[in-house]
Amino acid sequence: MDLIVQSLAGESVREHVIALLRSTAPFAALSDKLLGRIAVIATLERVPRGEVIYQVGDPAKDLYVVASGQVRHALGPGAQATVLVKVVGRGDVIGWAALLKDRSRRLAKTTALEESELLKIRGDQLMEVLGDDPVAAQEVLERCAKMIIEDFTVPAWLAQVQVLPTGKAAAGTRAGGASNIRGLALFMHRISKWLQGPTPYLMVVGFALFFGAWYLLSEVFHLWRFASIPGPHQVLIEWLNPNPVYGLSVYSSEYYIHIWSSIRRILIGFTIATAVGVPVGLFLGWSRTFREYVFPVFETLRPIPVLAWVPLAIVMFKSGAETPVIFLATLASFYATALNTMLGVESIDEAYPRAAACLGASKWQIFRHVVIPGALPYIFTGLQISVGVAWFSLVAAEMVSGEYGLGYVINTSYVNVRYPTIVIGMITLGIVGYVTSALVRMAGDYMMQWRVRELALGGRE
Amino acid sequence: MLANGKGAIRIEHVDKVYDAAGAPVQAISDCSLDIRAGEICMIVGPSGCGKTTLLNAVAGFHDITGGSIWLDDEMLCGPGKPQAQPGPDRVVVFQNGALFPWKTNLENVAFGPVVQGRMSKAAAREKARELMAMAGLSGTENSYPGEISSGVRRRVEIVRALMNDPKVLLLDEPFRALDSLTKSVMHEALLEIYYKNKVTIFFITHDLEEAIFLGQRVAIMTTRPCKPKKVLDVDIPHPRDYSVLTSRRFRELMEETVHAVHEEAVKAFEAGEKEM
Ligand SMILES: Nc1ncnc2c1ncn2[C@@H]1O[C@H](COP(=O)(O)OP(=O)(O)OP(=O)(O)O)[C@@H](O)[C@H]1O
Ligand SMILES: [Mg+2]
Repeated sequence: MDLIVQSLAGESVREHVIALLRSTAPFAALSDKLLGRIAVIATLERVPRGEVIYQVGDPAKDLYVVASGQVRHALGPGAQATVLVKVVGRGDVIGWAALLKDRSRRLAKTTALEESELLKIRGDQLMEVLGDDPVAAQEVLERCAKMIIEDFTVPAWLAQVQVLPTGKAAAGTRAGGASNIRGLALFMHRISKWLQGPTPYLMVVGFALFFGAWYLLSEVFHLWRFASIPGPHQVLIEWLNPNPVYGLSVYSSEYYIHIWSSIRRILIGFTIATAVGVPVGLFLGWSRTFREYVFPVFETLRPIPVLAWVPLAIVMFKSGAETPVIFLATLASFYATALNTMLGVESIDEAYPRAAACLGASKWQIFRHVVIPGALPYIFTGLQISVGVAWFSLVAAEMVSGEYGLGYVINTSYVNVRYPTIVIGMITLGIVGYVTSALVRMAGDYMMQWRVRELALGGRE
Repeated sequence: MLANGKGAIRIEHVDKVYDAAGAPVQAISDCSLDIRAGEICMIVGPSGCGKTTLLNAVAGFHDITGGSIWLDDEMLCGPGKPQAQPGPDRVVVFQNGALFPWKTNLENVAFGPVVQGRMSKAAAREKARELMAMAGLSGTENSYPGEISSGVRRRVEIVRALMNDPKVLLLDEPFRALDSLTKSVMHEALLEIYYKNKVTIFFITHDLEEAIFLGQRVAIMTTRPCKPKKVLDVDIPHPRDYSVLTSRRFRELMEETVHAVHEEAVKAFEAGEKEM
């Protein structure tokens, strides 16, 4: 290879390189400072038309970013690739092998189709620069991994993506390591990965910003409409007060009675909705006749907002305040569950029931072994939505009728001008709602190990 | 050597008309083809000519509108019985693969005998493990299909079919999505399985080299409506290996096939242009 080397002395060239890196998928999100440091270790080279940049089997030291022109990228035999030959142009990155840990040989042959300019970056130097900023590096490696997955059918290669020098936040280990653990161990594995990534810190920052803004608006500057709203400090004091001014705090047993009655209603409503909604949805998707009877009715009733049912519910269930509220929560979550379950059945590839029939499964066995598990991902999406709407309609119903519950707390506090208590009720709702929906998600992951593992290999946890 | 093969498929004057929303499509017309017990019969033909339709009729995934299909002496479908009952005597390996993603590879392979009630779960798993080991699939038993490469997935699927000791294997472009290297490995694996099992193989492909390399006979289909235009005898003795590919006879046969297929492809192309 004889490449024309051009030094990167001038400031304008540096700018040019930074702009180029920013236009590529893997480096797009890096800071100017980091890009500047990468620009220092990069060299811009001109390659004449027809020139082979590297061959299969060459040692892989450098990564290339195409600055101009066109380059043909042909994977060598044996690479289990989805696309063997592709043409890359400005902003594309080639030569990933330079970032692989053990496989430091080229897997492809690359040829310039016209006179092209390439930015050449030494793989080891790049890893060193990235090593100083693990968060950014994780981002870069993750994007690389994604691009590699798109090209190759063998996800195991991912495991070879180099572990960062600092030993922190590596994209490779999660995919490789995730493949043989299940259940609790998998859960712990994901938690620990989560803690190692940037997510938890971003989360903390997000909350801090939210509460900070709230505090400043309502308690410090008393701005405009926020002036009459209780600030976070005031709410916190009341919430943790052994002798609450307005009667409700973590020390009052009443607080827990309210939480428990709401949870109990959700539990009952959600359980009934699931027990009825899942089978109804399965049969809606499975049996055409059943669907022709039921679906029109279903579709007519579904758009009616749950609040519109409140009067009728109270008339229907005269026995106390409890049943109408549960009925409303059940109704709302039933629709979400049944509809998503039906879509889940429809989403199943025709080849699966056919294959099962070939293997001798009866209609019922196909239902049990193909339809139910095949619809499960959608069912759990439905259940997530369904807990959400259950809470939504529960609170609405509690505000109208009811003697206990968080919706009741919010409404009566408003009537009795206990503003901090309103916010306590709201925050409690947020927390309890989040927990229930997380529980549903965990149940889903537990029942769909296959999916968790597939997604982990796809680079999305 | 192939005298003790398993099931013969007789396709007699089969018609199939799709009637999608009042616009009838004649996919198969007066198609007759004898597939001998224990032979590998390759089906090639232009895209959209009706090959999959024919395979689906044999498998029992949809009805036919005329003629009959026989497996040995049993009429699968025909007058009075428009649709065959799918069953483990004719197992399909699908173009895009149909291993159940929610079952492990071992559970997939053991699925057939368990749902048929032929074996207990434990016995089926034991046998599945054995067959998988013989096919070089040890170590993948507890992975899910989503976790292994597409070549390995295809092998698991073939083993899943063989677990049922089928008379006929129906393959619809099973290796289409594989790269050429994996494909050649799969060819050898399939032949090895075939030499042990003598199962009858009905194999649809677009790849002429694959057709001649694997097949005892190659049925070249006309453009839609589909029927055999020419059935080519591949007089290269089995067992075969890759040296066949460079032999003179192979090239001659290849030439003959290319010629016939090209003619049909041009017709299909022109018909397509007229429709547009
Ligand atoms: N369910 C259907 N309803 C109406 N027409 C159909 C249906 N299925 C297939 N066809 C039509 O029948 C013809 C034959 O289709 P088929 O899938 O059997 O072709 P093929 O030979 O397998 O094609 P390919 O090589 O592309 O797989 C096509 O023209 C197709 O459009
Ligand atoms: Mg087809």
